[in-house]
Amino acid sequence: MGRYVLRRLLQALGTLLLVMFVLHLLTTVAIQLNGSPAQAFFGDRVASPAQIASVEQRFNLDDPCFDQPGNPCLGPFVERLGQYAQGDLGTNLRGREISGIVAAAAPNTMRLFSVVLVTWLALGMLLGSAAARWRGSFGDHGIRLSSVLIDAFPVFVLLVVYRYVVAVPLNRWSEQTFGENSWPPYWFKPSFDSSHPWATIIVPGILLGLAGSAAFIRLVRASQLESYQGDHVRTARSKGLAERRVVLHHVVRNSSVPVVTAVGLAFVEGLGGAVITEGIMNIYGIGGVLWQAVRDDDVGLVIAVVTLLAAVTVVVMIVVDIAYALLDPRIRYE
Amino acid sequence: MALTVAGCSPNDTEPQGGGPVTLETWISQDMETLFPGDAGSYDNISILDVVYDGLVRYDPETTEPYNYVAESIEAGDDNTVWTIKIKPDLTFQNGEPVDAEAFARSWNYTADGDNALYSNYFFGIVEGYDEMQPETDDEGNITTPGAVDELSGLRVIDDLTLEVTLSSPFAGFATMLGYTGFFPIAQECLDDVEACAKQPIGNGPFQVTDWQQSQELTAEKWADYPLDETPDYDAIHWTEYAAGETAGWADFQTGDLDLSFPPTAEVEAAANDPELAERYVERPGSALTFIGFSGYTEGPWNDIEFRKAISMAIDREGIISSLGSGQATPADSWVVPGGVPGGEAGTCEWCTYDPEAAQAALEEAGGWPKGEKLQISLGDDEAEVEYFTAIGNSIEEVLGIPYELNVDPDYFASRSAQGYDGMFRNNWFPDYPLNENYLSFYASGEPGAGHWGWYSKEFEDKLDEAAGARTLDEAVVLYQEAEAILAEEFPTIPFRWSFSATYYSERLDNVTLNPFSGAPILREIEITE
Amino acid sequence: MNDVGLVSATWRTLRRRPDVIVAALIVLLFAIMAAFPRLFTATSPRACAIREARLDPQGWGTPHPLGTDALGCDVLATMVAGVRPSLLLAFVVVGVSLLIGVTLGLLAGYYLGWADYLISRTIEVFLVVPLLLAALLLLSLFKNVDLGAGTFSVILLPAVVLTLFSWMGYARYVRASVLEAKNLDYVTAARSLGASDLRIMFRHVLPNAIGPVTALVPTSIAAVIGTEAVLSFLGIGVRPPATSWGIQISQGSEWVLGGAPHILLAPLICLVAAVLSLVVLGDALRDALDPRLTA
Repeated sequence: MGRYVLRRLLQALGTLLLVMFVLHLLTTVAIQLNGSPAQAFFGDRVASPAQIASVEQRFNLDDPCFDQPGNPCLGPFVERLGQYAQGDLGTNLRGREISGIVAAAAPNTMRLFSVVLVTWLALGMLLGSAAARWRGSFGDHGIRLSSVLIDAFPVFVLLVVYRYVVAVPLNRWSEQTFGENSWPPYWFKPSFDSSHPWATIIVPGILLGLAGSAAFIRLVRASQLESYQGDHVRTARSKGLAERRVVLHHVVRNSSVPVVTAVGLAFVEGLGGAVITEGIMNIYGIGGVLWQAVRDDDVGLVIAVVTLLAAVTVVVMIVVDIAYALLDPRIRYE
Repeated sequence: MALTVAGCSPNDTEPQGGGPVTLETWISQDMETLFPGDAGSYDNISILDVVYDGLVRYDPETTEPYNYVAESIEAGDDNTVWTIKIKPDLTFQNGEPVDAEAFARSWNYTADGDNALYSNYFFGIVEGYDEMQPETDDEGNITTPGAVDELSGLRVIDDLTLEVTLSSPFAGFATMLGYTGFFPIAQECLDDVEACAKQPIGNGPFQVTDWQQSQELTAEKWADYPLDETPDYDAIHWTEYAAGETAGWADFQTGDLDLSFPPTAEVEAAANDPELAERYVERPGSALTFIGFSGYTEGPWNDIEFRKAISMAIDREGIISSLGSGQATPADSWVVPGGVPGGEAGTCEWCTYDPEAAQAALEEAGGWPKGEKLQISLGDDEAEVEYFTAIGNSIEEVLGIPYELNVDPDYFASRSAQGYDGMFRNNWFPDYPLNENYLSFYASGEPGAGHWGWYSKEFEDKLDEAAGARTLDEAVVLYQEAEAILAEEFPTIPFRWSFSATYYSERLDNVTLNPFSGAPILREIEITE
Repeated sequence: MNDVGLVSATWRTLRRRPDVIVAALIVLLFAIMAAFPRLFTATSPRACAIREARLDPQGWGTPHPLGTDALGCDVLATMVAGVRPSLLLAFVVVGVSLLIGVTLGLLAGYYLGWADYLISRTIEVFLVVPLLLAALLLLSLFKNVDLGAGTFSVILLPAVVLTLFSWMGYARYVRASVLEAKNLDYVTAARSLGASDLRIMFRHVLPNAIGPVTALVPTSIAAVIGTEAVLSFLGIGVRPPATSWGIQISQGSEWVLGGAPHILLAPLICLVAAVLSLVVLGDALRDALDPRLTA
């Protein structure tokens, strides 16, 4: 087991390096093809070469390799790796500490993800179990159809409609009903409020979670259906255990393993939802930061944030794999 | 009473009437600095406007500059040497004196090309600027940094007197002095520029107390402010919104913002709301959106008749009333009419929608090559993409020229590199209120250079002549003549003027807009509880 | 069960469910719309008069049955014109990634060793990079490449990017089923009889894996249609003035409150109906094809 974990960690490190290098190449080519981002600094004005040059110097874009299409710019890459090794994430194109940006943005994204996760698990476990338990019934079809319906509905439409059509009247109504100094008006604020981070992130999180829950419901249903046909359930039933007990102890518990796996994988995909939700609800989070960084050709920021994200993903994947191994004895590691 | 102060948690009750009165407003999220010499966006300019005081401020009605920190500003005989006297006993918020030295250190730092600040280019007219710029080789790499650190044209005569020598006469110099780039800075600020960019040490009525970058910013009133342009309320709180966000209209509706404007789709509904209509101010803005052509590539657009055809094929009125009602007006001049001295409407002869004249002009130009598409390039901005799709549709409908949009996130770089082929969007937001500011950027210096590959010796001579005029009034007239040359040669097509409008909450009073930036003048606002 | 038997059994299962038939009809309708847009509207989606912007739906027989959008373009015409890019994109992406995924999964699962190592690492790299980030990076990187304005060229860039990031699921799936199938008795028997690798792969191993993978296809098509909408909302999907459902939905969502909800509703209903039908088909297909669930 220890050797397995070690091997996985080494593999993960390799994957990370590869990802960083590919991203470095892509962003470098982007700068080489599109021209130096320094020009954007001057906006509508005509800048002299000297002005551009000094802005490039100020923002560390002055390495000549950024002007030579096809040059992989290994120098800056190695330099960056060295910085990372010392725990220094560097600065973005405007000279702001990346660690500071991450420290400000990450907690909000984590909050969003945790609300989403709770929504997924709650909906998935409840509705998925119900659908599996009464397979083929009207309820089963209803649950599957409505979850697909929500899934098919683009999440940005859901959020835009919520923000502009639903939130304002809800907020006003709750203010009148519960008073200005109560919590409900904060739940229905149309924008994120950094002084009440949790209260104002719950509804956006639930909406985003709702939109992605269909896959979970289906997964839970499928894995429980498999369990129902599994030998241990048959044994339990034949032992004369109460159906309730069979369902709770043998089916639901067993099916939680693939769900945990899916949570790990959904982490990366969740980022897309995060960009949209953060943008619409004005949450300052990692998704939005990354989005802007790519648009600004901000190489340093893109690589730093993606490396962090990828590192977290890899760790989550390993943890999930290990949990999987511990929970399911059928899986072996050579 | 609807006192909504950020930070009040639902459970602790806000002291009624006794607490600080805070104005709730917004900026966009990508503001990076509050250093005067480096501030060039709508947002940091409007914040610095309450944190710093400049030598001059501008009259909200006429945009004329009047002395504020300056006691007097006088030009020598030929408008080359300017003597600025500063009011006595003014200090920064940290107690340092606001004297001639404070201005000199700020200007020298900003003018130094090695520091790569946004407002650097403003000092190009001051003697000694060139020696402060770094030298570059052909590939654009710096070979030697600027040789000197101080403008030779800047002389501190005594504590309160500053003498500025320009490299060539310029009658409008005093008009520039209220711009952010000319604000003074304290020595403490210069000692740690990075800290000062986050937490400015100003000489204005408000002090920045807390800036959670990309989230929110708070400024509180400076108790010892010596001058008189300061409002009665105690603090300003800016919420930062993601770029492209429509000013937190939903938050305005729930009472969390005091100032806002609805997204396009809701403009009509807001205008029809009698209750909202009472809390509305508007005034023409001063930013010009115009269309340029790649004069540096081969194409029909090098024929003036073709450019006329395009211009007359664009249904400015229809497009703006559908996509930007309340936020823009059709443009038919290169200098904002009424907004700055010398600005007049209607200087553009071919800026009205006239399908038949457009078709005739296209015919005269020899038509459009079959099978080709007109490329329309612009930056990556959703609202603008919509505008330019409408422009393209209008051209296609009237002239039968098929088009394609080239949405380019690196628009500025591509335009500078002369990387377009066809027509492209341009935008100009003026820095100071003088018609010169709308015109001088068309000067490219030589044929084929500049963003549009356009050069006119006549035009540039006229600009030089105007800069050397005896008085500002004479200069303004000469600049108008330069605009007429532009209108004659028609290298670019004016499309629309910005139009500023703001709704405000019930507790606000005396909301006026800066004639120039269109931002609400925070110093004038009164909060009634 | 031979192939013919499988197909007819599948058909029998599908036929008994009315929702499947409705879903199939809806998909068919959109397919016809994509193939023959002229059947549904005579108006060109690019004939837009800004002065006629945001007209309300006027009913059949009028110039603008479903009204006009913010730019004055006919909503019905743009909606019909949006079917082709949306569906084509989905089919291309799923088709190509299926091909890549099945091939790589087969190779990895069958040969193991260094081939498996290489493929598994590649899968991991692609899994770790968020699709959206990669899409943004690649789409902005190649935005200056002019591909022309044909139906296919318009969707080419998003298609390449989405394909690059959607084959991994199939590869993993196939690899797992190949691992399972390899040790089945008849495969071992075939190998001991001296059958070539290719023959074993295609005759014995692949058919075993193809069922569950086929069931994934409709759902994946639905997912691509949805993703395209998200990319369009973020401004990196199909490039205007070309159109797609995603572009129309994201443009329409601005106008929900502005008195013109039909601009949003028309493409939104189409998209939801298409996605819903495809998922229903996928579910039914899985129930029919996955032997483990039909016990």
